[in-house]
Amino acid sequence: MNELLGDISRRDFMKYCAGAAAVLGLSELELFEKVSEALASSSTKPPVVWLEGQDCAGCTVSLAGALNPPASALILDKLSIRYHETIMAASGYVAEAAYEETVRAGGYVLCVEGSIPIADDRFCMIAGRPFRRTVEEAAKNAAAIIAVGACAAYGGIPAAGPTGAVGVGKVVKNKPIIHLPTCPVHCDHLVGSILYFLATGTAPPLDKVGRPKMYFGETIHDNCRRRSYFDNEMFLTDWNDPEQKNWCLYEKGCKGPDTYADCAVRRWNDGQNYCVDCGAGCMGCAEPEFYSGMSPLYTADSKRSRDIMARKKAGLIPPLKEEA
Amino acid sequence: MAKRITVDPITRIEGHLGVTVEVENGKVKDAWSSGTMARGFEALLQGRDPRDAPYVTSRFCGVCYSVHQMASVRALDDAFGAKVPWGGTLLRNLAMGAEFIYDHILHFYHLTALDYLDIMAVAAYNGKDKGLNAVKEKVVGLVKSKDTFPLTPRYEPDEFSVRDPDMVITAVKHYIDALAMQAKARNMGAIFGGRQPHYQSLVVGGCTQYPDVNMVAKFRTMLDEQAKFVNEIYIPDVLAFGTGPLFPLAKMGLGGGHYNYLSYGAFELDKNGKQWVFPAGVITGLNPGKIKVKSFDPDKITESVKYGWYKDDKPRHPYEGEQVFDLDKKDAYSFVKAPRYKGRPMEVGPLARMLVAKNPDVLGLIKKGAKPGVVARHAARAIETKLLVDACYRWCDELLTEMTKPGFKIHDTAHYEPPEKGEGAGFYEAPRGALGHWIKIKDKKIANYQAVVPSTWNASPRCEKKYRGQYEESLIGAPVPDVDNPINVVRIIRSFDPCLACAVHLIDPQSNEIKRFAVE
Ligand code: SF4
Ligand code: SF4
Repeated sequence: MNELLGDISRRDFMKYCAGAAAVLGLSELELFEKVSEALASSSTKPPVVWLEGQDCAGCTVSLAGALNPPASALILDKLSIRYHETIMAASGYVAEAAYEETVRAGGYVLCVEGSIPIADDRFCMIAGRPFRRTVEEAAKNAAAIIAVGACAAYGGIPAAGPTGAVGVGKVVKNKPIIHLPTCPVHCDHLVGSILYFLATGTAPPLDKVGRPKMYFGETIHDNCRRRSYFDNEMFLTDWNDPEQKNWCLYEKGCKGPDTYADCAVRRWNDGQNYCVDCGAGCMGCAEPEFYSGMSPLYTADSKRSRDIMARKKAGLIPPLKEEA
Repeated sequence: MAKRITVDPITRIEGHLGVTVEVENGKVKDAWSSGTMARGFEALLQGRDPRDAPYVTSRFCGVCYSVHQMASVRALDDAFGAKVPWGGTLLRNLAMGAEFIYDHILHFYHLTALDYLDIMAVAAYNGKDKGLNAVKEKVVGLVKSKDTFPLTPRYEPDEFSVRDPDMVITAVKHYIDALAMQAKARNMGAIFGGRQPHYQSLVVGGCTQYPDVNMVAKFRTMLDEQAKFVNEIYIPDVLAFGTGPLFPLAKMGLGGGHYNYLSYGAFELDKNGKQWVFPAGVITGLNPGKIKVKSFDPDKITESVKYGWYKDDKPRHPYEGEQVFDLDKKDAYSFVKAPRYKGRPMEVGPLARMLVAKNPDVLGLIKKGAKPGVVARHAARAIETKLLVDACYRWCDELLTEMTKPGFKIHDTAHYEPPEKGEGAGFYEAPRGALGHWIKIKDKKIANYQAVVPSTWNASPRCEKKYRGQYEESLIGAPVPDVDNPINVVRIIRSFDPCLACAVHLIDPQSNEIKRFAVE
């Protein structure tokens, strides 16, 4: 079995698709076999077109952080990356020719990183073309569309600025879009969604705002290891105090109760750490309202934080039950 | 007759950049560098809680995110009057050190090496090494299946390209190994940075990650692996190329430019800020035999918008910076502004830092005949990576000692609330060069925010005095024998490690205009 998936072991695969098997009504083994078959039966690697608009390349860098399977296996063995400004060898017209050929042929996975300015096309021009038009055009023949990261999903931080930055869904209508917010994208979410699509030919089941339920089904707060401190209203106020170091970060602006994402379970960077564990708190980057709707970030002095507290007081965020 | 060619997009850089060159008799005669994307970040910060700034400005660039956070928290430290405890500085330094190590490795192997290699030479490898043969198999397999993306298409290799099969195949193997190394370096940074890309733990007054002995031990173990790679692979590779097949490019001084260098300085080695891994300083009109470094004075920085898509204005100091887009302006060709030091364009980045530091290894290369330019830039980048690896060991040890002291602190809690009003400047060095953030606070909110970033220095267009930007100047005289294959153009640009997203500025959302305020 391992051979068919090359560098991707069954365990790794389940890490990406945890929850997906259940949603599909398959056992984990069945799902894994399905993916293996799909990958083995196609003689060519699935082509990928990756467009960057108003981005910072952070999502690309995040993908390059994938160690299991390694990014090198993804880039060279698993996918055929036809166009990607940050990693491709070609520049200028050589790059553009590769792009045009792939788009003409169709059937590729389209990844969009970065938001799209709609206030004036000239805020993002690549190869002399408005980025908005490139996205519209590339979407037409795409087999699947993935909005990679908060900016491409919902506009992200640029949405708070003057360029009229929006997510892909505001430009591409009538096509399903897999939304993978968080700022930047979590590499597991991206790799897993692509694998899922390759295995089934469809997008994973999505929630109301287009995010895969397998990654965005529960809140940070529900899985937070500081949770009992929240329930007991023990909030960290001084980062120097070793006694407080595991307390709840509500006072420091944590938006975990309003944020659906699996960071608290999955963690970041091969499990090394993540936003809440490092003492900073969750900034809500997986939500469509990010960033304006979460600001100010590092203090509870926001409408949202006050609202969270009001809900807590009203018993709407009940304490976690002790597990038996 | 002169022929104009435009390379757009320049790939394998962060952000969107186009370059136009005029070629005459096989050489570049003139050049224009143009940033082609804008997001308006500084504008969206206006009116926000100042403590949002490090988080938001981190998104200037997803490649060198933490340095923006760092420059931003330093600007806030300054404006809030926060005194970062030494423990907080050590944590910041370790997170930042990891970022430099990852960033330099990524740049050399993944963003630039392909410009110097004839990848297809691996097919001619007939050595016995198992690992190398696996690489050969992989690349030959890709060629056979007619799917070599993203290694091709490419500009065709030229007479300077490395074609020796052993050398090329080793480099390709290191390209693959380095993918894991850069990822691991970033995981190392996440120990104190929280997660990456985009650290979460750097805040005004210090750092949020309370350290324990296990974390330091983990960091050290991961650092050992990085040190081995840097010392045994990265530096030898760069030197083998630079003093071997690429020496003609080094001797020719391809991509030299103005020979003006600027470093703001970064990575303090002691509590009083006396000693730095990267000292600050300015060199104008470098004479490699006798390097004269002058001290750096922040007041001498101005930004020109003469050839930017901004409403015309006189050059201003960043504190007074104001930008109103004018997308129809005649003669404008970039979203990048043109910073100048005492009116002059400057190169910033590893080469500038190592020259200002009078680093003996870099000076040694120059003595051997390598002129400052493309090859020296790659060498300086590798050499300073080692300086940071060594410094990280030192900071780990110091942190362990510091942690055991009673009253160990990582944060200045007394200065976490924004002041009613104030201003602050934060200077630092990004992997790509000198980075400055400036903030003005009014009614506890951001009144103005400006960043002058390394790629603005390097990629800037012309200014009032018509001085070309550093990229533009570096391109002059570059050999382009075949205008359909301008490989030297991309070699030069990429040697600076461009990152353009951060170089591009703003407008005000509502009024389309930004309030100007005088420096008090
Ligand atoms: S508010 Fe944040 S830190 Fe506190 S329990 Fe919820 S998710 Fe965890
Ligand atoms: S923990 Fe919150 S802020 Fe951090 S990545 Fe996850 S959703 Fe975003």
